[in-house]
Amino acid sequence: MSGQAEELQELREVTRRFLADKASISDTRRVVESGRSCDEAVWKQMAEQIGLQGIAVPEQFGGAGMGPVELGVVCEELGRTLYAGPFFATVVMAAQALVAADDVEAAERWLPGIVEGALTGTLAVADLTGEIDPEKVLTTAEPDGEGGWRLTGSKRFVVDGCSADLILAAALVEGEVGLFGIDGDAAGLTREPLAQLDPTRALAVLTFEATPAQRVATDAAAVLGRVRDLVSAHLAAEQAGGAAAALEMAVEYAKVREQFGRPIGSFQAIKHMCADRLLDVESARNAASAAAALLADHDPEASLTASAAAAWAGPAFTRVAKDNIQIHGGIGFTWEHDAHYFLKRAKSSEVLFGSPAHHRARVADLAGI
Amino acid sequence: MTTIQHPVHPSVDDPSHALHAESDEEFRLRLRAFLTSGGPGPRPRDPRERVAWTKAWHRNLYDAGYAGPSFPQEVGGMDLPFGRQVIYQEEIARAKVPGALGTGLGIVAPTIIRYGTEVQKQTWVRAMLRHDEVWCQGYSEPGAGSDLPSLRTTARREGSGEDEVYVVNGQKVWTSSGILADTLFCLVRTGSQESRQKGITYLIIDAKAPGVTIRPLKDLNGGTIFAEVFLDDVRVPVANRIGEENSGWALVRTSLGHERAAGSMNQAARYRRVLDELIQLAQERGLTSDPLIRDQLADFDIRVRLMRFNAERIIAGILERGEPGPTSSVSRLMLTTFEQELHEFAVDMLGPDGLVTKASDAAVQRARWLSGFLTSRAATIGAGTAEIQRNTIAEQVLRLPHDPAMPPR
Repeated sequence: MSGQAEELQELREVTRRFLADKASISDTRRVVESGRSCDEAVWKQMAEQIGLQGIAVPEQFGGAGMGPVELGVVCEELGRTLYAGPFFATVVMAAQALVAADDVEAAERWLPGIVEGALTGTLAVADLTGEIDPEKVLTTAEPDGEGGWRLTGSKRFVVDGCSADLILAAALVEGEVGLFGIDGDAAGLTREPLAQLDPTRALAVLTFEATPAQRVATDAAAVLGRVRDLVSAHLAAEQAGGAAAALEMAVEYAKVREQFGRPIGSFQAIKHMCADRLLDVESARNAASAAAALLADHDPEASLTASAAAAWAGPAFTRVAKDNIQIHGGIGFTWEHDAHYFLKRAKSSEVLFGSPAHHRARVADLAGI
Repeated sequence: MTTIQHPVHPSVDDPSHALHAESDEEFRLRLRAFLTSGGPGPRPRDPRERVAWTKAWHRNLYDAGYAGPSFPQEVGGMDLPFGRQVIYQEEIARAKVPGALGTGLGIVAPTIIRYGTEVQKQTWVRAMLRHDEVWCQGYSEPGAGSDLPSLRTTARREGSGEDEVYVVNGQKVWTSSGILADTLFCLVRTGSQESRQKGITYLIIDAKAPGVTIRPLKDLNGGTIFAEVFLDDVRVPVANRIGEENSGWALVRTSLGHERAAGSMNQAARYRRVLDELIQLAQERGLTSDPLIRDQLADFDIRVRLMRFNAERIIAGILERGEPGPTSSVSRLMLTTFEQELHEFAVDMLGPDGLVTKASDAAVQRARWLSGFLTSRAATIGAGTAEIQRNTIAEQVLRLPHDPAMPPR
C-alpha cells in the first residue's frame, strides 16, 4: 500500500473506533431523543483525543494541515453513525470558509477555537433556500461608522444555527456579496429552531436587525464558490457513509430474519435489491473521493465533479435507506428501529444544499451541454 | 490446427529486455510509436476483407512482440506488470486499432495457460495470439443458459491408446463470432446428467472437423453476431482435453491476475465518446434547450464520470492492495444498464426520426441509436444475465445465503 493510502486507512480506523466508542448510531438516538443536537463532552473529546475538528485546518492556525481527501474520509465515517453534532456546520462549512478566505486576522481569531473544540460555527448564504449560492443573497450590510458592520435580513435553513458560537453570513454591500462574522449571542440576532424532517441535523431561521458583525476581508464570491464545492463533495462522502451503513444493516438482517423456513436473504427479490444498492454505495463513495482529490489539487474539473458526486450520492443514499426499511418489513416501520433515522437523514441531505436536479443543471452548465 | 509458431522479435529492440530498463512513460511512447507507424492502415468496408485485415494486424502485433499483455513470455505474451497493462490498454484504445476476433483470448487462453499441458500452451495460445486461428465459445445450449451445469452435449470415449477419441454429440448456441470460428472451446458432458457440474469436461474442438456444422443465427436487429453449432459424432482426440475428465467446471472463469480490470478505464472512455456524440447530436438539433432533455443528458454525463471513478478505484485497489475490491463486481451492472438506457433515450429524443432504419437514406447517423437500442438488449443477457450477476454479487460480496431451492454452486 502506498504511504498516502496507508495514512488514510489509519485515519479511517481511528475515526471509526472513536465513533464506535462514543458516537455510535445508538448514541445519536440517545442525543436526539433527549431533545439535544449534540453531546458536548464527545465534541470536546473528538478535538482533544483525535483532533478531527482541525484535520483540514493549516498548521499555522493549530490544525493538522491536511485537506479535502482526509476530511472526506472523516465525513464518510461520521455519516455511518449519522453523527449528531456540529461537525458539518463547524468544520466543513465555517472552518473551510475561513481557510479559503485570505484574511489571516479572521482565521487567527476563530480557527484555533474551532480546532480545540471550544468554538462551533456555521455558514449562512442564500437567504431563502439554504444553498451556498452567492447569487441568492438578499441580506444587506452597512458600516457602523466605527470600523464594524451591521447586518439586516434573515437566513433560513441554517445548519446548527441556534447553537453555533460563530455565524458566518453572506450579505450585500452596495450590490456586492461580502462575508461577515457574527457572534451567536449578538444583539439584534434572533434564532428560531426549525421543525423539520431530520432530527440528527438541527436547522434554524436567523433574523438580523442591525446585528453587529465583523467583515472577513476576502473575495467572498470566490470563497463561497470553493466552499460550495467542498460542501457538495463532503456531503456526498457523508451520504456514502450513511448509505453503506444502511446497506450493512439491511444485509445483516436479511441473513438472520427467517420466513417460510429460510433466511429472507436467500430470496432473489432481496438479493437483487441489495446488489443494486451495493452499486449505489460503491459509486457514491468513489465519486465523493474523486471529487475530494480534485478539490485538493484545485483541478479545473473539481466543481463539476463535486456536483456530479452530489447529484448521485443524494438519491443513492435515499434509495438505500428506503430499501433498508423495505427489507426490515414491519419492524423497519417502527419508531424504535434505527432505520427511519437513515431515511430522514438521506432525504434531508439530498435536498438541503440543492436538489439533485439543481446539481444536474450545474453539471450541464459546466460540461457545456 | 496449426503448427507451433514461435514469436519473431525482428530487431534488437527486444520488448522483454526493454521492459526492465525503461520507465512507464518510455514504454508508453515506444508502444505508441509502434501503433502509429506500424498501424493496420484504413479499415476496409467489405466484411470479408475486414476479417483478413484484422488478422494481418494481430499477426503483425504478435511478431513485433506486442501481443498478450498479461500472458507469460513462454507462450508469446508480454507478461507486463499490472500498471503497464493499464498503459497498454489505454494506448490500444487510443490508437483505434481493431480488437481481437473471437472470444478465445479473453476466456480460454487464461485457462490453457493455467491448466494446459506444455504442448497445449505452446500450440494453442500462440495460434490464438497470432490470429492464425479464431477461437469461439461453445458453452450455452438451447436448454442450458443461466443453468449451465444442466448442459446435455455428450462426449463418450472410443478407441484406445494413441487413437482414443471423444465422440461428441449435441448442440451449442449463442456462439459469438461463430461463423469465423476455426476452433471451438466447449463444455461437454462426460458424467451422468445428474452429476451436473461434477460431470463436465473441457474440450477443444476443431471447427472444420467432420460432423461440425456452424449456422449463423439472425438476431433481433437482423445481424449475425451469434451462431449455433451442431455437433454430430464429432471425433475429438483425447489430447484436446484441458485438465482432467469431469473436472472442466472448475476451469471455467479462470483469469490471469486482473487482466480484465486493466481495460476497465477504456469502457468508461468508450461510453464517454458515445455520450459526447449524442450530446452533439442533441445540440445540432436544438434539443438541449428542452430542460427535460438537458437534465437527462446531465444524468448520463454524471454516470459516465462515475464509471471512470469506479474504474480508477478498481485499478488503484489492485495496485495498492493486490485486489480490485467490491466496486469491480458491480461496475458491469452500471455499464450494461447505462448502455441500454442511453440508446433508448436517444431514440426517444429523436422522435419519429429515431425509428428510421439504416435501410433508408433518411436514417439519422445510419440508425446507430436505433441499432444500439435493439442490440443493447443483449447487454443484460450475454456473459451471464443481470439476474445471475446480482445473485453472485449478493452471495459472494455481501455474503447473503444461497437459495436452498437452487442446486449447490
